[in-house]
Amino acid sequence: MTSRVIQTLILKDWRLQRTQILISVAAGGLALALLQLKSETAFLVGTVWFFVSLIVLGSMLPVSNVVNERKKQNLPFLMSLPISALQYAISKMASTLGLFLLPWGALVIAASTLVMSRGDIPKGIVPLMFILFGLPLVGFCLIAATALVSESEGWAIAATILCNSWYGLAWYFIIRNPAINRDLNSPVPVWSPAVLTILTGEAAAVALILGVTFYLQSRKREFV
Amino acid sequence: MSDLAIELDGVEKTYPFFTLDRIHLQVPHGQIMGLIGPNGAGKSTTIRILMGLVQQDRGEVRVLGRRMPAEQIAAKWDIGFASEDMRLYEGMTLAWHMDFIRSIYPNWDAPYAQLLLKRFGLRAEQKIKGLSHGQRVKATLLLVLARRPRLLVLDEPTTGLDPVARHEILKELTAVMTDEGRSVLFSSHNTQDVEQISDRITFIDRGRIIDSMDKEAYLDRWRRLRLEVPSGMALPALPGIIGIRQDGRLAVATANAFAPEMANAYESTGARVKSIETMTLEEIFVANVEHSREQEVGA
Amino acid sequence: MSSSFVISQTDKRPIYLQIMEQIKQRIAVGDWTEGEAIPSIRQLAVDLQVSVITVKRAYLELEREGVIVTQQGRGSHVASKPGLGMRLQQEELEKHLEQAVRLADLLGIRPKDLAARLRETGDRRMEKEGEQV
Repeated sequence: MTSRVIQTLILKDWRLQRTQILISVAAGGLALALLQLKSETAFLVGTVWFFVSLIVLGSMLPVSNVVNERKKQNLPFLMSLPISALQYAISKMASTLGLFLLPWGALVIAASTLVMSRGDIPKGIVPLMFILFGLPLVGFCLIAATALVSESEGWAIAATILCNSWYGLAWYFIIRNPAINRDLNSPVPVWSPAVLTILTGEAAAVALILGVTFYLQSRKREFV
Repeated sequence: MSDLAIELDGVEKTYPFFTLDRIHLQVPHGQIMGLIGPNGAGKSTTIRILMGLVQQDRGEVRVLGRRMPAEQIAAKWDIGFASEDMRLYEGMTLAWHMDFIRSIYPNWDAPYAQLLLKRFGLRAEQKIKGLSHGQRVKATLLLVLARRPRLLVLDEPTTGLDPVARHEILKELTAVMTDEGRSVLFSSHNTQDVEQISDRITFIDRGRIIDSMDKEAYLDRWRRLRLEVPSGMALPALPGIIGIRQDGRLAVATANAFAPEMANAYESTGARVKSIETMTLEEIFVANVEHSREQEVGA
Repeated sequence: MSSSFVISQTDKRPIYLQIMEQIKQRIAVGDWTEGEAIPSIRQLAVDLQVSVITVKRAYLELEREGVIVTQQGRGSHVASKPGLGMRLQQEELEKHLEQAVRLADLLGIRPKDLAARLRETGDRRMEKEGEQV
């Protein structure tokens, strides 16, 4: 019964965010189209466009999907349904992540396909790609979790600014790391221990964020 | 399974600027309980606690036999809740909301929902943001009523509604009573509505329950006595009298524990009883609050 | 059957008394006849948008006065006493007379003078009716 309610809530969120989904798909599609063109400028523009879309989406989604429900006073309506605060949190994180994973997944697939198909790019950069793409995912989880648990738009915005500022720095340090960049030019992907450690770390970070979120939500004593 | 629809026992909740103190409340099955009190008295807090939306610091809460907030999921299947601070999704239509609720609750009564649409004068295809305040309130209530829940918990369901809309709502609320197994708890500023449709009345002020009892018995305890007093005499306050206003030889005594012998008692002090009047719930409300404020100031 | 009941909000008397009065009026004028079934407590409550407990009280009082009878599981009906309607009309008159005496007393008018006033009022009314013919 209850998992059906959670499903209904997730679908409800996706229905409410329909416009956002369409915009992100359109933007992603356009960016991908640009990447197909043979010009370097197009490639550059397309790549930047894609990353910017991802970051903007990652910033807006937690607000529109998480914060607004509280701001627009929809919460009493939802909490009158047969769910607990924890189940609400589960449905919220699931729907928000789901909305992000669509464009994010598309980016990962597109980029991987591109790298795999073009003969002039060494496949050694694939592990690095995955590490770099993983960061916005972790960042997004953090922002969404903060928005949900803090119940505050201010904190959500703070988390967004924090995460977005860190990406550049993190990417820089990872690329500069000798353990990573020594295999960049290899013709095949090299899944070295360093790479695997970082990837596992990212997955663990997501799990940790979700775990702490659900724990904190279940301990809340006031839900409206 | 207890025979009470709602049971609050020794419930306490402390906030920085407000405390809900030792709340005892009982609503038997098949009855309408009206909750009245001034703004900030604790009506909404009490309602949130019994819905499991806020956890009490102390005390037991049982709704439809389920402990709250531990068993709130089970309880909420059978409860229809609407509060004044609740909003629907602006960008979506009423029809979307009806489908949403229907997809969750198995006992959605579609024909009744259509009937309510007509009675309330609502169009399902309309977006919520296009509705007036009164229409939004009616839309929210429609979503709750069409499920035919065993218990209705409504926080200010008629506040801000025009007289016609209020009348429509009251009609649907009392219609709930044709089923003896269904109960209603509602809070309201409109003492007339509460007086008319409640079986029981609970009076709350400053986080405390002042009175909670059968409505008819409650109204019976209150009387206004108009007396003529011999000149120079101050009318004494007999037991059961909570307030006296005297101007020269004419006095009005307010009784909150009226007994017919009171008239004789006054006559024997030399005063003459000119009339004994019943009081409306509104008059009782004001008298009660004034009295309890006087007591606090330190009579 | 109960669609013509109206609970007045300006009437300062308790609702249960208003209900009792309207039921008695219907019996007095013969709209509800002796032995006839009347709406159940719950049904009347819903029709009037009034609490069940208020209607219950009205019915209990009426039963105590011998005006109606409520049977467990069988609903309520007007008492099957011949001349009930007449009796209720008489009681109504008696109530008005008592009130007149009470008011007169407050004004310091004695019953003898009150009787004279009553005759005057009656004569005036007959005159008016005579004019209208």
